[in-house]
Amino acid sequence: MKKLRTLLVASTALTAAIGVPAWSALRASDGDGLWPLAALFDEGSQALPLLRVSDDDDEDDRDDDDRDENEDEDEDRGGARNPAPAGTVAPPQNGLFGTGAPPQVKVN
Amino acid sequence: MKSVLATLALTTALTLPGLAMARPVTLTTTLNRYGGDGAYLVLYVTDASGTYAGSLWMAGRKSKYYKHLSDWRHATAGNAAQINGITGASVGAGRTLEITLDLADALFDAGYTLHIDAAVEDMRDSPNEVAVPLTTQGAGTPTKGRRYVARFTYDM
Repeated sequence: MKKLRTLLVASTALTAAIGVPAWSALRASDGDGLWPLAALFDEGSQALPLLRVSDDDDEDDRDDDDRDENEDEDEDRGGARNPAPAGTVAPPQNGLFGTGAPPQVKVN
Repeated sequence: MKSVLATLALTTALTLPGLAMARPVTLTTTLNRYGGDGAYLVLYVTDASGTYAGSLWMAGRKSKYYKHLSDWRHATAGNAAQINGITGASVGAGRTLEITLDLADALFDAGYTLHIDAAVEDMRDSPNEVAVPLTTQGAGTPTKGRRYVARFTYDM
């Protein structure tokens, strides 16, 4: 019985020690989207630097950009939709080309 | 020994006509200073009846822009297989594109015409910018384009 009581007191004290500052910090921060996780580790500090977990979708935007770039890269690499660059494969066998030297190109 | 000589004679006999049936031809295209981005150009050939015979070169790598080369696109449905291995970079304003190809002799003096379609981003498309009959006599003679091509010549 004594053990049980000791256990209850200890758990209540622990809850109070952690819960009260956390609850205070929650009330103190009235900004939307702020998550006062840091408050748990620095009791009573008003100038507490809060750990901000933003719901901004910058990362999603970046993913979109990456996808666009990848599409361009795929096209640059000669993907399925783009033709093979000169020098990588033989010219088409359309009857116009001989079997001699491969095409040579120069831009001045 | 006899069989080796016979093989050599046979391979020589087979090779020589092949070499004689094609020749290096240099196609030179100089662009005007039109004040825009690089031009997409496609050089292709039609036969005596005006039917598309094949492509010789595509300057411009991204197929999404090929729809602006409208005559070529109409003839080929933009099929990339038509230009595999004969595609290079687009050509800047004022620059000269010089391509040397090993072309079949049968293309010359047989009613074939070489065409160039041209397109520049945010500027007017120019299908059939150049149309030149392929003749041995016409080699080295400059031809002026309609909009973007200052002059085109083929030399052999």
